[in-house]
Amino acid sequence: MGGQENIVIRTEQVSKSFPGVRALKELDFEVTRGEVHALCGENGAGKSTLMKIIVREYVEDEGNIFIEGHNVEGLGIRGVQELGLSIIHQELNLIPMLTVAQNICLGREPVNWIGKIDWKSMRKMAEEFLSEVTSEIDVENFVENLSISEQQLVAIARSLVTSPRILILDEPTARLDQKSSDSFFSFIERAKQKDLTVVYISHRLEEIYRICDRVTVLRDGKKIITEQINELPQTELVKYMLGREITQQVPKESVPIGEVKLSVKDLFPKEKGANINFDLKSGEILGIVGSIGAGKSEVARAIFGADPKKKGTISVAGKEVKINTPQDAIREGLALIPEERRDQGLVGNESVRKNMTMAALKKKFCVGPSWIQKDKEIEAVETSIRTLRIATPGTEQEVQFLSGGTQQKVVVAKWLMSDSSIYIFDEPTKGIDVGGKYDIYKLIVDLARQGAGIIFISNELMEVLSLCDRVLVMFNGQIIKGLETVATNREELLFYVMGGRDYAETANNSKGYH
Amino acid sequence: MQKQPITPKGIINNYGATFAFIIAIIFFSFASQGFFSGQNLQNILVQSTSLGICAFGLTFVLITGEIDLSYGGVIGLVGAVLAGMLKDGHSIGLVTVVCLAIGLGTGLLNAILIVVLNLPSFLASVAVMFICMGAERIYNQGVTTWIRDPSVLSIVQGSVGPVPLPVLYLFALFFICWFLQTQTKAGQYVRALGENISAVKEVGIRASLLKSGVFVFAGLIFAFAGYIEILRIGGAVMYAGSHLLLSVLAACFLGTATFKAGKANFPGTLIGAFFLYTLLSGFTALGMKFYLVPFAQGLILIISVAISSARRGKIEQVQF
Repeated sequence: MGGQENIVIRTEQVSKSFPGVRALKELDFEVTRGEVHALCGENGAGKSTLMKIIVREYVEDEGNIFIEGHNVEGLGIRGVQELGLSIIHQELNLIPMLTVAQNICLGREPVNWIGKIDWKSMRKMAEEFLSEVTSEIDVENFVENLSISEQQLVAIARSLVTSPRILILDEPTARLDQKSSDSFFSFIERAKQKDLTVVYISHRLEEIYRICDRVTVLRDGKKIITEQINELPQTELVKYMLGREITQQVPKESVPIGEVKLSVKDLFPKEKGANINFDLKSGEILGIVGSIGAGKSEVARAIFGADPKKKGTISVAGKEVKINTPQDAIREGLALIPEERRDQGLVGNESVRKNMTMAALKKKFCVGPSWIQKDKEIEAVETSIRTLRIATPGTEQEVQFLSGGTQQKVVVAKWLMSDSSIYIFDEPTKGIDVGGKYDIYKLIVDLARQGAGIIFISNELMEVLSLCDRVLVMFNGQIIKGLETVATNREELLFYVMGGRDYAETANNSKGYH
Repeated sequence: MQKQPITPKGIINNYGATFAFIIAIIFFSFASQGFFSGQNLQNILVQSTSLGICAFGLTFVLITGEIDLSYGGVIGLVGAVLAGMLKDGHSIGLVTVVCLAIGLGTGLLNAILIVVLNLPSFLASVAVMFICMGAERIYNQGVTTWIRDPSVLSIVQGSVGPVPLPVLYLFALFFICWFLQTQTKAGQYVRALGENISAVKEVGIRASLLKSGVFVFAGLIFAFAGYIEILRIGGAVMYAGSHLLLSVLAACFLGTATFKAGKANFPGTLIGAFFLYTLLSGFTALGMKFYLVPFAQGLILIISVAISSARRGKIEQVQF
């Protein structure tokens, strides 16, 4: 690659520690002008920390950072923006009650001579930047009325306002549905032609190989390798990320399927969805797929009593049960591992131990009225930490300091301790690295082997196909198709997810055109 | 700007409090003779000015997601100093500057405690309120001081044509606040920082400086409210601010139940202040005992907070 002037980001021996965690260790990292540079690594490898240091949200403990040849020491967020850097975070930092235009122009509002915001030129400015990414969102709409996927596109448009020459994207596609992903990738293609440099953090191999030029792999806060993407086979990349070899992504094994465990009849969730009917048998892993907004989570929450339902009956082991609250559901042996783990599944400033044993404390670790048997509790927590490979310095670490994937494992561990017999996993692998996914798959299969019934909600068709026995496809609030995973494939599944009807017939017809 | 389909439900949601206001006026007009006279309505307007002005200051703070109750003490302290200094023969110009400086000082103190030292705003501002009350007591020894100079009193008791001056001040300040908050960059950021502070920091806006500015500005407004209140009464009564403590809060929360789905906003606060005073003076006209006034105010506050949080809750549900 070119000389010094072509290196737009360079870090030298950067280190950073947080309470209990050494996030980065003497890290050297370089990005060249005009490339799309992938940054890969397991959760907790230090990707987000490195990016936050580069954009000056964090300050390094040691080391130097250069952007376009300038040492960024002493510069603030605004200072590096002026050097041409812009970042889109994993968390969407939008303001719900302002309009799309107000959000896009936040901090850059055009004003007239008395300081009044010039609404007309602001609208024009917002439209201009938004049109780089999508043409389907009205800039006058309020952000709170947009879907998550649309909000992500707005966040991307906002990052363009500073006319960046370097764009850092932290898992931008995790929240995008199929349609928005397509507009996003064509945006990246156009950006590349304009010589924009992109740092791309992602867990999706397919995307990395589709759009990136080079890749840097981080592991445990250290740089493992930087390589041209086309000289690094996918299996090698995964190996570098994990530091160990994974032969098979999903530990598929056949588990004997037993009696009907959960039966849902004529369920109408109040939030979204209509006429939901299905049975779940013991030992069965039942996938539910559908694009964002199809109503998957709403069905799960309605079954679990977390949201009200308009009507419908739920039977557990053949007996009709009344589930109006999550407490009712837990009593009937249900467990829901929610999608928004930080909001719904964890108490951030409590320890790993307290979070894990919260649901089962009374049942398993107490004697008498409420004496906690702490040694028994700690033993169980330590066992979970080992078997789930939870990356925490100890049982007493506050969960807010753990990485996203690690937090997810803590939530899963919590429900495992409650000895449920029906588990609903709502996107358990979202935003989790390959190794973490493997651990969660393995755990789900183990649960099935022990006779539990499992509902597995996911957006990733591959994992559903390889993990589940059966899959239900939801579209616009309804189950439009039930398929045996052995008798279907990815194309057929995606066809139904996107709202298609009669795959076989359509496939035959389309042959006629070729 | 807000694009919403017009439905009966939407109208009640958005303008419910305004309707309640109109209904209350009609009710009192029939129930009590002389309520709907020009003189009485003008009285309501004039009497609600210091309440309204003070509520604008609080509205700014509420928009940032904090609270500032220090006005409960600032108003009294400003009043005591105003009356005392005039009695000692100082010029009204100097006295006015000192009064505003008190507001600036207490605002700065709030900013240091809440923004710099990161204390919870509720407790910090209540502490500042008590400090001001103490200072007031030390300054005037608990004696009520009357202001008798007609030229000074005319600052508030005069009128331009048919419009009493305080009403003019109220609307002028309303316009300034509304303009600052909805039409300028800083105002946008104030709103934004109450909603999602990391979003504001991310684009390089200095959120702490902005927040400090809001507390200082609010302090100035509180001092101005005290200034108007004391000149309107014509004398500094002990702890004049504590009488306004609940009404100002209630006016702001009535405001959140008007217009902007559960969020503090200036048009809402203005209407809230009028509404509150209409209710109180209406009840008084109907013969409600004076000692029941706090009771009624408490009820109104609970109802408006309940409406406000119910609406906010609904908005958040839509999001997820």
